[in-house]
Amino acid sequence: MKTNISAKFLLASVVCLLAACGGEPEQEQSQPLPEGALTGAEQAREFYAANPDFFSFKTPEDIPENLEWETGLELPEIGSPNATKGGVQYSSIPDFPRTLRIVGPDSNGAFRNWILDNVAVKLAHRHPDEFDFYPGLATAWALEEETKTVYIKLDPDARWSDGEPVTADDYFFLFFFNRSEHIVAPWYNNWYSTQYTNISKYDDYTISLTMPEMDPDIIYNALEHTPTPEHFYDEFGPDYVERYQWRFVPTTGAYYIKDEDIIKGRSVTLTRDENWWAKDKKFWRNRYNADKVHLSVIRDSSKVFESFKVGDLDSFGLTLAEYWYDKLPDSDPDVQAGYIHKSVFYNQRPRPSWGISINSDRELLNNQDIRVGINYATNWDLVIERYFRGEYDRMKTFSDGFGEFSHPTLAARPFDIDLAQEHFAAAGFTQRGPDGVLVNEQGQRLSFTLTTGAEPLAAVFTILREEALKAGLEYRIEILDGSAAFKKVLEKQHDVYFGAFGRFLEFYPRFWDELHSDNAYDDAFLDDGSVNPDRQIKVQTNNLQSFANFEVDQLIAQYDSSTDVEEMISLAHEIFERHHEYASFVPAYVVPFYRVGHWRWMKFPEGFNHKHSESAGELFVHWIDTELKEETLAARRSGDTFEPQINVYDQFRSEN
Amino acid sequence: MLFKLTPQTLKKLKRFRDIKRGYYSFLALCLILLIGFAGELLINNRALIVSYEGELYFPTYGDFHPGTDFGLEYQYETNYRDLKQKFDEAGEGNWVLLPLVPYSPNENHSITGIYKAEPPAPELKHYLGTDTTSRDILARLFYGTRIALLFSLGFLVAVYAIGIAVGSAMGYLGGWFDLLFQRVIEVWSNIPFLYMVIIIFSVIPATFSIASRIMILLTVMVLFSWTSMTYYMRTETYKQKARDYVAAAKIIGASNTRIIFHHVLPNTLATMVTFMPFTIVSAITAVTALDFLGFGLPPPTPSLGELLKQGTENLRTAPWIVMSAFGTLVVLLTLITFIGEAVRESFDPKKFTVYK
Repeated sequence: MKTNISAKFLLASVVCLLAACGGEPEQEQSQPLPEGALTGAEQAREFYAANPDFFSFKTPEDIPENLEWETGLELPEIGSPNATKGGVQYSSIPDFPRTLRIVGPDSNGAFRNWILDNVAVKLAHRHPDEFDFYPGLATAWALEEETKTVYIKLDPDARWSDGEPVTADDYFFLFFFNRSEHIVAPWYNNWYSTQYTNISKYDDYTISLTMPEMDPDIIYNALEHTPTPEHFYDEFGPDYVERYQWRFVPTTGAYYIKDEDIIKGRSVTLTRDENWWAKDKKFWRNRYNADKVHLSVIRDSSKVFESFKVGDLDSFGLTLAEYWYDKLPDSDPDVQAGYIHKSVFYNQRPRPSWGISINSDRELLNNQDIRVGINYATNWDLVIERYFRGEYDRMKTFSDGFGEFSHPTLAARPFDIDLAQEHFAAAGFTQRGPDGVLVNEQGQRLSFTLTTGAEPLAAVFTILREEALKAGLEYRIEILDGSAAFKKVLEKQHDVYFGAFGRFLEFYPRFWDELHSDNAYDDAFLDDGSVNPDRQIKVQTNNLQSFANFEVDQLIAQYDSSTDVEEMISLAHEIFERHHEYASFVPAYVVPFYRVGHWRWMKFPEGFNHKHSESAGELFVHWIDTELKEETLAARRSGDTFEPQINVYDQFRSEN
Repeated sequence: MLFKLTPQTLKKLKRFRDIKRGYYSFLALCLILLIGFAGELLINNRALIVSYEGELYFPTYGDFHPGTDFGLEYQYETNYRDLKQKFDEAGEGNWVLLPLVPYSPNENHSITGIYKAEPPAPELKHYLGTDTTSRDILARLFYGTRIALLFSLGFLVAVYAIGIAVGSAMGYLGGWFDLLFQRVIEVWSNIPFLYMVIIIFSVIPATFSIASRIMILLTVMVLFSWTSMTYYMRTETYKQKARDYVAAAKIIGASNTRIIFHHVLPNTLATMVTFMPFTIVSAITAVTALDFLGFGLPPPTPSLGELLKQGTENLRTAPWIVMSAFGTLVVLLTLITFIGEAVRESFDPKKFTVYK
């Protein structure tokens, strides 16, 4: 299977769904281990011995001589030198986490950002401005193309939050752990078994990873790892999921959680490690500034806003126009008095694929004219102009924001009643029924169910429905619970579906998952490339459009095995063009910025944030100025005011 | 009428008329319902009458008129507000008569070019303002109320039909039938109603039209609500069955059907009537609550619950939304409660009871 990270996300969330309503968090007293049970480390040793091809123990002399080591040290620093440590950051989470584990059932919730994704240090990270890698747990890395192997030198300073050193053993354990059935995470089991072919230890601080394919982002696959602490899993066994449910896993990052800071159902507090091993390292020293991060559970977003407004929370996301213009307008007294600052930041990164996926396996929808007609009859332009107040951009293809890989000229089809009617007419829909919906000679109505889980956008679908009716197309709106909707589309039970796949900060777009016929049908084509008449729709894949095209399959295969960036770019453009022509996707919108309101004491670097950042808090470059906090609170009491601050940071603004 | 009213019942009805508060509430509610049925003539984006080139059109009911019917270029439904403006400007003798509120409940209408909540603007005929996507609140409120009322009436009929049939059968037949059904009802009524509605409604496929989805919701709600009625009917039938007049009828040789429909049921009328308003109230409340939670009527059906939800989310920025939805709900429920009070009082055999 070709690698895909968005698939991991989705699959894992489905696993979460199935394992929903996990146990009560009252399982502190774990059962004692049976006599003679092996520790995690001992089990791992046995596993290594049983898989000698995968786990190799070598000596430093085995490292090839003429490697070109990269260190990433030439990249610019992250964050601001003005940042000061201290203070408490107050934020909120919509739900109490269901577990503190970082793998296994329920672990893929939003809380994971606070203990893993945004906090834990990996071997190396993509630089949020330059895209190249800057060092984390690694100090240097080198790629040997012939053997598809990445050699990695580990930082001997690295420590777990419980003080233990991070060594090569923890990376070995990572593979043992993630391939174990005890973690109840089949996706991880598969990923770590198939995407890597070997890990070698040369000494305690030198390892190498070998991969089966020479992808252009092979480095990414090698370096985007945070190890697994071998010493922590002494009691690892079949009951891992329950046993480790509420144990905080030692982290390589700046924040850890003390047992007494977990108040079940109410709040979790992260504490900054004063002696964090990376606190003086170049790319880390200006980040993770607050001494504590207090996360309280507030379920309702309007209550979150009210808490922010009274000063209980430091910041609030204002990306929705409704909040930016109506609920916290520039004329708001707190904004005018300079207590609350408003900031807009234009970022650049791969965009989530918001749009309408047309299930082209369905009757009528398998007709190209109808799909093109639907594209012309769906008035996203109006939604963007009127509902999103003209602030979002129209999406162009199903994968925007990949730089040169994104198509330079393709654009979504505009709303055009005449063209829509032309195409519907070509498909036999020429007459209008009594309610204005087109009908064909067999009396079929041009009516499709629009399934979605995006409940907050309910109003948008009403607009689309009213507009589509003008072109004679009826959308029946079906708004389901998010996970129910996604379950339905994975079963390929939908006509058309509105939703999005998240896109990670990656070098190039991926096509296999969403466009390859392998994910649309079982045996989609016969050997000569003609359509297999007996093909069956394939469920539980991300090809929501049932897009199957023999030639595009060849292009994707070529693209996936290509190692030449130029060739990949031209292949990508061709795939985009074919996909556009097929018209099974109505691109909706991209949000080219994020906006936040933050109290005066929450400070951000000069340019506010970094080019590829996804949200204001993601990189932890902000800091809490405790003196300013006192000053602001005093001023609020006495009525003193400051200069209002409404700032637009558009230095990275691009034309989509 | 299913059965003849006894003189006693007529007396009770007369007494109901004498309780002014309840009686006027009843009249008001009937008026609301009546207006509701003629709603398309009052609140609608289709014109009442269009006079175009000497010919009269009545677009309110029936098939849609594409713009081409009136010399416009488009083939979709005519925008009659624009048409009126056009005719007025042209001054060629063509004219359009629009309803009082010329908006449909699903139509986004904004003069600022942005879809957002706007305060009441009588000059635009948005008498209660617009909701967060610039849909006319009065129109949504009106049709939402109509749907809620019709829904609750349908609910009432269905719940009564099942409740009375089962309850009376239990009371009249007694024995193992009674025993068995009591247990069934005990089990059935312990299934949490709201959760079941939420679960069932979230898995029902939406390939159906909006009307049939509303029917499904109604069916589901009825399925879980008929039980409470059976208790009252059971005891009431038991009571009547033991009375002498039933024994007398039996001796004369009246059939069971005759006894049930001619003797027992008319005498249980008091119970049935008394619970009617409360059943309606509970149906309106339930469907509003479900909408509020997002599990009720499918969008874009106008509904009170959906408006309430919008209102509470925009309490600070658009208070007119919550005010109109809340106001309507209060008025509606108060009217029905007044009716209920009056009905209870007029059917109470103890005429001079005073509650302190």
